[in-house]
Amino acid sequence: MRNSRGVRTFRTVWMALVLIFLYAPILVMIALSFNASVSRSQWTGFTLDWYVKVFHDPSILGALRTTVEVAVIATVVSTVIGTLGAIGMHAMNTNMANVLINVSYLPMTTPDIVTGVSLMLMFLFAKVPLGKWTMIMAHIAFDIPYVLFSVMPKLRQMNPNLYEAALDLGCHPLKALYKVIIPEIMPGIFTGTLLAFTMSLDDFVISYFTSSDMYPNLSRIVYSSTKLGVKPTMYAVSTMMFVSILLLLVLINRRTKLEDMG
Amino acid sequence: MIDETRLIEIKGVSKSFGDTQVLHDVDLYIRKCEFVTLLGPSGCGKTTLLRILGGFEMPTSGEVLFEGKDMTGIPPYKRRINTVFQKYALFNHLNVFDNIAFGLNLKTPEQLGVKTKKEKKAEIERRVTRMLKLVKMEGYEKRSTNALSGGQQQRIAIARALVNEPEVLLLDEPLGALDLKLRKEMQLELKAMQQQLGITFIYVTHDQEEALTMSDTIAVMNGGRIQQIGDPKRIYDEPKNAFVADFIGESNIIDGVMLQDELVEFCGVEFQCVDEGFGAREPVDVVIRPEDIMIVGEDVGMLTGVVESVIFKGVHYEMMIRGNDPDGIRWKVHSTTMQPVGTRVGMTIVPYNIHIMHKARTADAEPVAESRNKEA
Amino acid sequence: MKRSWYASPYALWMLLFAVVPLLFVCWYAFTTPEGAFTLTNFQEFAKPRYAAVILRSLKHALYCTVLCLVIGYPTAYFLAGRGFNHTQSLVVLILLPMWMNLLLRTYAMMTLLDDNGVLNAALQAIGLPKVKVIGTEGAVVMGLVYNYLPFMVLPIYTVLKKMDYSVIEAAEDLGCNPLRVVTRVVIPMSLPGIVSGITMVFMPAVTSFAISTLLSNGKLRLAGDLIDYIFNQSSNPNRWNIGSSFSLMMLVLILISIGFLRKVDPDNEGGGLW
Repeated sequence: MRNSRGVRTFRTVWMALVLIFLYAPILVMIALSFNASVSRSQWTGFTLDWYVKVFHDPSILGALRTTVEVAVIATVVSTVIGTLGAIGMHAMNTNMANVLINVSYLPMTTPDIVTGVSLMLMFLFAKVPLGKWTMIMAHIAFDIPYVLFSVMPKLRQMNPNLYEAALDLGCHPLKALYKVIIPEIMPGIFTGTLLAFTMSLDDFVISYFTSSDMYPNLSRIVYSSTKLGVKPTMYAVSTMMFVSILLLLVLINRRTKLEDMG
Repeated sequence: MIDETRLIEIKGVSKSFGDTQVLHDVDLYIRKCEFVTLLGPSGCGKTTLLRILGGFEMPTSGEVLFEGKDMTGIPPYKRRINTVFQKYALFNHLNVFDNIAFGLNLKTPEQLGVKTKKEKKAEIERRVTRMLKLVKMEGYEKRSTNALSGGQQQRIAIARALVNEPEVLLLDEPLGALDLKLRKEMQLELKAMQQQLGITFIYVTHDQEEALTMSDTIAVMNGGRIQQIGDPKRIYDEPKNAFVADFIGESNIIDGVMLQDELVEFCGVEFQCVDEGFGAREPVDVVIRPEDIMIVGEDVGMLTGVVESVIFKGVHYEMMIRGNDPDGIRWKVHSTTMQPVGTRVGMTIVPYNIHIMHKARTADAEPVAESRNKEA
Repeated sequence: MKRSWYASPYALWMLLFAVVPLLFVCWYAFTTPEGAFTLTNFQEFAKPRYAAVILRSLKHALYCTVLCLVIGYPTAYFLAGRGFNHTQSLVVLILLPMWMNLLLRTYAMMTLLDDNGVLNAALQAIGLPKVKVIGTEGAVVMGLVYNYLPFMVLPIYTVLKKMDYSVIEAAEDLGCNPLRVVTRVVIPMSLPGIVSGITMVFMPAVTSFAISTLLSNGKLRLAGDLIDYIFNQSSNPNRWNIGSSFSLMMLVLILISIGFLRKVDPDNEGGGLW
């Protein structure tokens, strides 16, 4: 390319500024989680005290448990339902399958707050008390599309004769499913599982509306704490969440390109 | 037709991408109204040379003169040169009319020879309509470019470049994506357009037949060097080296030894030829076109052999004949009469059909690595 | 058992937890607490205190979208161009925050901008007076931009990346100087990505929840916060109905904009998340 030096410099500076804008707040927060002082304006030395406190704070530990429990259950259930759904739709005629696939776009299109409110309305109407299980139901619903959209492409890539070959060779349909189809689409299932888990850990808005202060997850704890002033333990919690989500995302990105997803 | 003034002079142009040198000290001049073809296999540097002329690449060293003035540093948009790109590169956000009018819209009314903006609009419409007629695409003004076939897109790309009345039109394998029949038609049309408009065409292709059909002058390139420059007949009849001979048309290339002027030995037999000026007992490449070998009776042939295979090629038969010499050279022979497989035949070659070439220097023979994205 | 039956748990779940809840929203939006049909719920938004929030949401979302476009377009353009050694990592780095918890990112932003935060500490250290950022409209818009910028970059990047580079050369060849190449070719050709990006930023920005509350100390509520307020804090006996009508309006607004997007970009070239 015939780019002048000026253009190249401008481009580098621009990208650096964008990256600083995107990452400076996060990095500052991570740094503060290791700051010995409660104050955000001065650095008085490195400490792991806040992390130690986190693991001795029963309310934070409870929220951590809730978050992980919700994420694990929602991920397992949505992986099973989503994978079976993808296999079923793959075997259907296209019109029917298209209708069902479009249903999956619904939670992705609807603003989180509307999804959250709508589920809350339904639970309240049915007199189901909001809590851990309503949150899990909601998480499963928004996790399923991620599993579906990770598995679907793998099924389309699969040789259509594979399943028939297994039947032809005397395999019972159910056995053919887990002997032939599941191994073939395993990479897609795995990506879907990772994505679902990440989305569950990551969610704030929908959890906020479908659960209550009795069963907070980590995001909710951070949110409530802002009303009481910032505590460095929250930086430690946030940092741990960031790092775990970041690791998951990097792992997912190694499997599929993030920018091709969605 | 061709004016003797040199419109473009390329002087000692070299180009490297990183460690890969794709052009080595190229010298070439192009005359006004000439149809010049840069011909060579992919990776030979022909597209890079064209892109240097278009202003899309800067030569690493050397200079390009346009009417005697150095234009090396001038950006593409200031050159009186337009390009027809390999994959058309049409603007798919614009319709056919606006694609062709693109260059004209950028000009001021004065540059188009009119005074007001209103007149400019009318002038553009007039020129675009004329151009559409030239490329036989009348009535397609309002069409979206996505809805056109490959051949139609090609015509629009040509019209879009020509409407600016450039001094030189650069064409980068413009017919590469078309099917054979359409290609042949477009070859003739392009040649006719060039003659009608009197514009210099610089045409890049790897198709030797295309080059022979259309060009006034062919520059055969390989390994970043120009191997031979000349008119099509001369290039075909008198290839300068084994590469050119092999690339242009089909050839039998055999090792031989020059015994003295006008006398060469190969396959253990001495042949009269017309070439002179080689060193005594210099090893040479002997090039003989398949159609220049005449099949005669076994007893009267200068060489003898056995027919190994016969393929009917439409106009002629292509036969592979295994020579009876110790090396058992396989000759490719084109003939209108068929000899069944297994026939013992004789072959003769007249002296002026035997082309003697110096052995290629190793530097030239070295394959030059293809530079990425430049020559796909 | 036919294989298509495997999809039935999926169909059931999505019906129950994605479709039916939205029907509830519709039902409540058009009824009184007693269950009679009414349109009065929608009239609530003419009331000044609600109307002000809606107008503020639209205004802030608009500022945010414009800023995202101004910052995001060059970013996407540079990412799609050649010239960086590790473009791929750069793309990942810029898109990663998109998938990260909105609350955490806003919280981080708060830390930076707070009255006793890092920014003010830095200003004091070099002898400048403190600035009050939290609570201003600027802070809210900045928080929105911070959260939604990657959603603008992604679709524009996708379109630009797919663009044939020779089209740019063709424009130069036909007489465009570098500025005109951008205005006459690059921008018009990336229009689907731009529209997609605008929708992907504007819509969530309008409905955003918590960002504004956190960055304005609860002073400046946006539409999302209003929905939260109506459902969870107001004492109005109609609160479910009014809240639903508001949610429904948001949903319709988004469906309209998706329809518009489909029209401008029928082949989904923008590669939006939707």
